[in-house]
Amino acid sequence: MSTETTQTKTRIEYDDTPVRQFMIASIFWGIIGMLVGVVIATQLGVWQANFNTSWLTFGRLRPLHTNAVIFAFVGNMMFAGVYYSTQRLVKARIASKLLSRIHFWGWQLIIVAAAITLPLGLTRGKEYAELIWPINIAVALIWVVFAVNFFWTLARRNEPTLYVAIWFYIATIITVAMLYIVNHLSIPTSWTHSYPIFGGVQDALVQWWYGHNAVAFFLTTPILGIMYYFLPKAAERPVYSYRLSIVHFWSLVFIYIWAGPHHLLNTSLPVWLQSLGMIFSLMLWAPSWGGMLNGLLTLRGAWHKVRTDPVLKFFVASVTFYGMATFEGPLMSIRSVNALSHYTDWGIAHVHGGGLGWNGFMAAGMFYWLAPRLWKRPLHSPAAANMHFWLGTVGILIYMASMYVSGITQGLMLGATKEGGTVLAYPNFIEAVTSKKMLMHIRALGGLMYLVGFVMLAWNIWKTASGAEVVNGSTEVYVPEKTARMGLGGGFVNAPVIYTTLLIVFAAGWGVLPGTGSAFCIFGLITTAAIMSMSIEFSKAGWNDWYERLLANAVPFTALTTIAVFIGGLVQIIPTVMVNTGSSVEGMRQIPYTPLELAGRDIYIREGCYNCHSQQIRTLVGDVLRYGEYSKLGESIYDHPYQWGSKRIGPDLAREGGKYPHSWHYFHMRDPRQISPGSTMPDYPWLFTDKTDTAALPNKIAVQRKIGVPYGPMTDVEIQQACDTQAAGIAAELKTAGAEVPPEREIVALIAYLQKLGKAEKVSQQTASNPQSAIPNPQ
Amino acid sequence: MTEPAKQPNDTPLDDTLRPHIYDGIQEYDKRLPRWWLLTLYGAMVFAVAYWGYYHAYEIGTPPAKALEAEMAESAAIAAKKAGEITDELLWKMSHDEQVLSAGKATFDTTCAVCHKPDMTGLIGPNLVDNQWIHGGKPMDSLKTITEGVLAKGMPPWGPVLGKQKIAEVVAYIMAHHHPGEEIIIVPGWTPPAGVVPPPPAQ
Repeated sequence: MSTETTQTKTRIEYDDTPVRQFMIASIFWGIIGMLVGVVIATQLGVWQANFNTSWLTFGRLRPLHTNAVIFAFVGNMMFAGVYYSTQRLVKARIASKLLSRIHFWGWQLIIVAAAITLPLGLTRGKEYAELIWPINIAVALIWVVFAVNFFWTLARRNEPTLYVAIWFYIATIITVAMLYIVNHLSIPTSWTHSYPIFGGVQDALVQWWYGHNAVAFFLTTPILGIMYYFLPKAAERPVYSYRLSIVHFWSLVFIYIWAGPHHLLNTSLPVWLQSLGMIFSLMLWAPSWGGMLNGLLTLRGAWHKVRTDPVLKFFVASVTFYGMATFEGPLMSIRSVNALSHYTDWGIAHVHGGGLGWNGFMAAGMFYWLAPRLWKRPLHSPAAANMHFWLGTVGILIYMASMYVSGITQGLMLGATKEGGTVLAYPNFIEAVTSKKMLMHIRALGGLMYLVGFVMLAWNIWKTASGAEVVNGSTEVYVPEKTARMGLGGGFVNAPVIYTTLLIVFAAGWGVLPGTGSAFCIFGLITTAAIMSMSIEFSKAGWNDWYERLLANAVPFTALTTIAVFIGGLVQIIPTVMVNTGSSVEGMRQIPYTPLELAGRDIYIREGCYNCHSQQIRTLVGDVLRYGEYSKLGESIYDHPYQWGSKRIGPDLAREGGKYPHSWHYFHMRDPRQISPGSTMPDYPWLFTDKTDTAALPNKIAVQRKIGVPYGPMTDVEIQQACDTQAAGIAAELKTAGAEVPPEREIVALIAYLQKLGKAEKVSQQTASNPQSAIPNPQ
Repeated sequence: MTEPAKQPNDTPLDDTLRPHIYDGIQEYDKRLPRWWLLTLYGAMVFAVAYWGYYHAYEIGTPPAKALEAEMAESAAIAAKKAGEITDELLWKMSHDEQVLSAGKATFDTTCAVCHKPDMTGLIGPNLVDNQWIHGGKPMDSLKTITEGVLAKGMPPWGPVLGKQKIAEVVAYIMAHHHPGEEIIIVPGWTPPAGVVPPPPAQ
């Protein structure tokens, strides 16, 4: 405890138990997550690897893979790194042993719950946000425990000012909490099922604001913080540039949050949002490379160590992959490049450069560096660590090369037209699937090599730790005098903050205001910039002093970071949520689902169909020729959750309804290869034996009504009757086509849903503003 | 060899360190690399210009409008290219070996899943008997394939395959028929029992 007396020398023993726990957990879950990755990679080349078993199909395992590697592997690694470095950087033991233990065991329980529920098909149907609502609440609570423990430790610090790693940790904790809560707002229909409160385009926007920034603030900022501690420690060299740290930190956290809509380019998302997503992604290039530069240039004078030290090898490769991925990201955000790259394996190559390269290698370097310090014994085998490095690097390169070839091939084939742009060059989607089969095998091989390398790490650390003495670090500090605090007001009312705020306000005003307002904002922008540049000239030292004072004041620092990450979300989400629902539908409005179709839709979500099929026809010639008229804003407004998807392993389904007879879907779901030779889609035999859960429908429809879907009043009996009638009709039609199935089976509900896809009514501007009267009771 | 190694301009030794030390970590305060600053400012300038071009001053064409223009253009090309196709021409084509092999290739990859490779019908109707649902003349088939019959699950193949390929497919189908053959119009198609595999056991 810090005391009021000045210059007392105290000895602090750090609490490294949570570091050890999180590190072991990260390695364990890392192996599981990567193993699932290898399995699903294999399934894309060999459909039999789905084993005709519901809980082993690609659609259910792919969410398990993504959640496991993001939240279990990198999550645990991040906590280990944060707990280790924060204690040392602020010269204080972790505030609460109890909170650390709750944090650790709570997080592991969440992971176990995820590993059980996802294969069972319990899902929210949104990427990287699949976990069901009770687990969401647990995640939020454990995150708060982490936050309290972290900020409490900062409050008890014996080091007055905050090092750059701590800035990144603060940004992480605040932003992840904000993103996670907003994207998981849902209303439960049962203990295991809920509908998100946002639908259609709103849900798409919120989802990618979250999804993109999960990459930013879960996979990037904490790892940058870890880089800023462990890399200079391992290299024993000073960090390259303090002022680069400042510039790239603030520009990174401010700009990152705006870039989400680049996942929705050429879709029915309003164009102004698409443009913001694109231009902010381009502006993100330099701030990201600031981190890479500060990492790589810190090695000046230490490059000779890279040759022998596996830890530095991993760090250098990791930061290099970070630089490649953050160059590629802005590139893929350019509208025309995105038209080719989106929905293809190019995206998969990109994220694995970041995931396997940046995250995975940073984790490996950190673990190899930590193990001897946590267990007081030298690393068992540096040779094996070097071997791991080369195996992993070659694995990543094989993986990425095959996926680039596959992605670009697929993008070019599916977009290609001939005869003056009037016909598709490759009319059958399956051609793009069969042409990349070999590449899928090569990719699985690359992933397997990476996994083998990681298992070597587990073995190496196990040999280092088993039987070794467990040690906690310690240090001696002089408890500093209480310095004058800045206070929240002092954090805001000062030149740098005021100038920055004015610049942002004027820039935004120029962008959106018409006529004179716009001109006034340009004037304001120039004036502010002029005054600011003069005051920089006159008081560079003043600005520097101000920032140094800010660094000694954690509360104002956190408040400013919070504001910086809030702005982008507010500007993009508030107008979309306020404007859309009623009137802005672009002339087409979705016809709400009947009860049976809704039940079918929940089966579609349960099976994770969105992992392979998009439901969004982009404003591109290839898309329109292949799938029909491009998707309009109003055509998915009642979709909670939206199912636009992000990948086309199979074709788009936005206008699937009515394209084929019921029997086509019946035979296709039973054996896709009977209808579509060469298909890699799994068989779905259980849909033909399991009964549709119609008992849950009254609750589901009540919730749908609450979140704005215009369902008329219906009693439970009426709902059941509506289901029975529609199912009987479909079953009868199937029977005439020689496909006999009892009407209460799931396949019937799923066919009902698939045949509804793309059904919308034309609306005029007048009727559009009043959906309640325009839409009859869907019964 | 005898010359002493040249000191690089950028020796770490010359740099001044900031006074603060965090757990042994020190920091230089090097200037921001100029090329890095240029990329930062360049991206900002581009962002402003892009926003001005497409949004603030609305000079650029929005993507949906651009797409519609592009589609209209290709529709014009298609209209220009489309020569007169007649029953007579299609019958003639049905004897051309080259046309038939092209038609067969398209049929096998696109049509055979529903109509069976031998055209005797599965999900979709038999095409070699003399019963027809939407007319049995070559031009009737051309229309059915091009526009589809959505109510019965026949997709419109016009935008996907294009005129040329559809004409080849019609020729391939008509190779199984001859001009003046009897045409019986029937209301729909029922697959014969035993053609469709039975559903799985409960």
